[in-house]
Amino acid sequence: MPAKASIEVRDLVVRYGAVAAVRGVSFEVGAGEHVTLLGPSGCGKTTTLRAIAGLEHPTSGEIRIGGDVVYSGAARVHVTPERRGLSMVFQSYAIWPHMSVFDNVAYGLRVRKLPSGEVAERVRWALDLVQMGALAARSAAQLSGGQQQRVALARAFVFSPAVLLFDEPLSNLDAKLRAEMRIEIKELQRRLGITSVYVTHDLEEALAISDRIVVMRDGVIEQVGSPAEIYDRPRSTFVADFVGSANLIRGRRRPDLEQEGLVVLETPGGLLVHGSAYGRHPGAEPLFSVRTVHVRLTRERPAAGARNVWPARIRRRVFQGDFTQYQLDWDGRTLVVRSASGDPFAEDDEVYLAVEPRHCVLLEDEPLRGGPSPPG
Amino acid sequence: MASWGSRLLAAAVGGAAAVLVLYPIAFLIQASLSVGDPQARPPEAYGLGNYTDLPRYSHIFGNTVLVAVIATVVAIVVGFVMGWILSRTNVPGRHAFEQLMALPYYVTPLMGALAWSLLGSPSGGFVNQAWRAAGGSGHLIDINSAWGIAWVMALFEGSVAFVMIGAVMKPMDPALEEASQVLGAGRTRTMLKVTLPLVIPGVLGATVFVFAEMLGSFSAALVLGLPNRFYVVTTAMYQLVSQYPPRFPTAAAMGVSLFGVMFVMIWLYRRIVRRGHYATITGKAFRPRVMRVGRLRWGLFALCLVYLAVAVVLPVLTLFSASVQRLATALIPARANLTLANYATAFSLDAVRSALGNSLLLGAATATLGVGVMAFLAWLIYRSRLPGAGGIEYVLMFPQAVPRLVFAFGMLWAWLIFPLPIYGTLWLLLIAYLTVFLPLGLRTIAGVILQVDRSLEESAQMCGAGWGYRMRTVTLPLLRPGLVAAWLLLFIASVRELGASILLMGPKAKVITPAIVESWFSTSTELTAAMALLQTLAVAVALVLLFTVARRVTQPAGE
Repeated sequence: MPAKASIEVRDLVVRYGAVAAVRGVSFEVGAGEHVTLLGPSGCGKTTTLRAIAGLEHPTSGEIRIGGDVVYSGAARVHVTPERRGLSMVFQSYAIWPHMSVFDNVAYGLRVRKLPSGEVAERVRWALDLVQMGALAARSAAQLSGGQQQRVALARAFVFSPAVLLFDEPLSNLDAKLRAEMRIEIKELQRRLGITSVYVTHDLEEALAISDRIVVMRDGVIEQVGSPAEIYDRPRSTFVADFVGSANLIRGRRRPDLEQEGLVVLETPGGLLVHGSAYGRHPGAEPLFSVRTVHVRLTRERPAAGARNVWPARIRRRVFQGDFTQYQLDWDGRTLVVRSASGDPFAEDDEVYLAVEPRHCVLLEDEPLRGGPSPPG
Repeated sequence: MASWGSRLLAAAVGGAAAVLVLYPIAFLIQASLSVGDPQARPPEAYGLGNYTDLPRYSHIFGNTVLVAVIATVVAIVVGFVMGWILSRTNVPGRHAFEQLMALPYYVTPLMGALAWSLLGSPSGGFVNQAWRAAGGSGHLIDINSAWGIAWVMALFEGSVAFVMIGAVMKPMDPALEEASQVLGAGRTRTMLKVTLPLVIPGVLGATVFVFAEMLGSFSAALVLGLPNRFYVVTTAMYQLVSQYPPRFPTAAAMGVSLFGVMFVMIWLYRRIVRRGHYATITGKAFRPRVMRVGRLRWGLFALCLVYLAVAVVLPVLTLFSASVQRLATALIPARANLTLANYATAFSLDAVRSALGNSLLLGAATATLGVGVMAFLAWLIYRSRLPGAGGIEYVLMFPQAVPRLVFAFGMLWAWLIFPLPIYGTLWLLLIAYLTVFLPLGLRTIAGVILQVDRSLEESAQMCGAGWGYRMRTVTLPLLRPGLVAAWLLLFIASVRELGASILLMGPKAKVITPAIVESWFSTSTELTAAMALLQTLAVAVALVLLFTVARRVTQPAGE
């Protein structure tokens, strides 16, 4: 069995009766790469993952693992999950309550008929990696949620699968434990170097553990890119909005004022906003996305000549601990700004706000999205 | 592809089970349409004559409804009151009582009817004797009347109603009631506006279900009604089939009518239950709020004791007392009258011995085969995503809407002409039991299967385990406690089955429950009482043995 394997998904369609959960999805995962499928519930991410696992029977398309076709609609190939050489961590952990921790982890090794000495050795190694070595003899029914999660992890990687799949593994944990496990999973991925596909609806989780993120919506892919790309240069309003919080600025294009490769929009209130196109072409109704953290607030007017500097008034101030969220009256609308707590602004303060043009990201022109259209 | 083979197998098994259920029903309907020579089969001519004739038996239908209504009302009141006391008040010994509430189910309506016949027959019943001795005239109670039959039926169905209603009352989120009180409503207002509306769908569902069961019940009406020529539909059918010359088509028409009504009832029940599922069960775990009832708790305690005394202690004591007397003349036997001869006779009678042996054998066979078949069917319906699984489930649950006697009638008809020579043998009874207990077994096992999260099997698959390995190491071990429970239920139900057995058993392959009824009508009361107690004892001994074995088996394996 290869230590790592690449995954290719081509034109995958999964239909339940009349409903298409996945409508023509294609992406690749390189050997040893960690890819996350990110999207709101019902976007088809879990269905895609389960199709890779073989637990879901797709309607059409093709899936290859390590170059071998494991599913092909055209060639009528469907390799059963147990023969795909994958492993998976389930949202519900799926720890067998009638076995001990040791037996749970040893399962995949025993299926592969390893000698018992080696089984014991590898189970110990895996449990130590997830810091559960001391609880090997415990009955699985007596574990807490976090402990079950660790056992599920150990069980999934102990037999060195070619690919590791994660189906929202942290969604049942509380926030603090979730942040902790996120780091542990990342650490584990790095150490084992196994190819992995991770499904989540949690942005922070996706940003933290992925090499690349596939953002999905309504059964199709919205954007593929590195965490920084996805965050800094969202392609569509959906990604801008779903991945963190963003302000959308709409306006009329002013090509006459454009220079240095920047795009200039004139807002309905007559303000000029300079932004970056990142190779995209402004359409009929150009739109900028500005992350709420990328807007700077100052009491004094910044140096003359700077672009994208406007006066505004603070209407609401909401203290949220790690940051403070302000709602500003700007251009006849509300702009949301998050800045590090400790800023001395109060409600009704008159301030200046400034945004660097590289943070005003031109979004791709989107045709109006109607109902589901047939794939292909 | 491997999955084609399993799909084919699944379709075949599902189809076979469907045939098992639908084949007898088709014959029942065919028989009901026969208007030629009533003995001829296949029918000489078809028509609706048997149905248009049914109004002649309107008094029987009237009796059936009367008994069923009274019994349902009493059973629901018992179930509701007991459900409320045991799940919502701080009555002493709540948890013990909850366990004890299963006992009436084990005593069975037949034993209850035999015992209450001894207690309440208008001439010689112990209660009426006492009444006359105390200076009363005539009789205090008449157990052979519609009221008497309904009383006995209600006592035993009361525990079923309790289980169903308790299941709605218990998991109710106390916050729902607390919210009402916080908003300023008093106790009474909360009860009327919040508690009751939440419980009503469950109670309504239980009422419809119990009513359907009562329409098709047989044993109490047979034992108590027959001496008086008081017939309900099932006993009338039995009479029509076993008299000479038998009148099969009329009986079949009655059976189909009953089946039709019960079918509607069960349909209604499922609708109510599905609709009423909304607020009370949220999946969160909490302790139901227990009401402090002060000194009243001892009154409620007494109420619980009275129910158990009337439904369990008194019937068993009465039968025991009768079984150790030469002539059962008093509840408390005179010393001179004491004897063990009845037990000796029961044991010496070859018929009784072989019937008891046959029953235990059949029970074990039904339970073992049944658990295997039903587990597979349940898995097929709830887990395999087989196309048409919903349809298969519907068909398999069919026997729930058919009284066992009516179903047996269809089987009698169907298997007489079947090329396999199993008519009159234990094999036919085995098939009958497996069919009529399909809903019971399926429901029990499905409950367990649905509790086992699908991902537990999937994760085994993701670890690389094939179907057989998965079944052996994950699926079956997780299901084991449920399967053991289903085995026990099927075993008990089979050993004590009456409605189907009484029609289908052959003269050379008797089983114990019909033998007890035969003995009641043809030999002595005392011998019958001994036989009934022996049956109960045999079941109890078998269960104790099994429990010991089962506990050893279900213990976490030491590898």
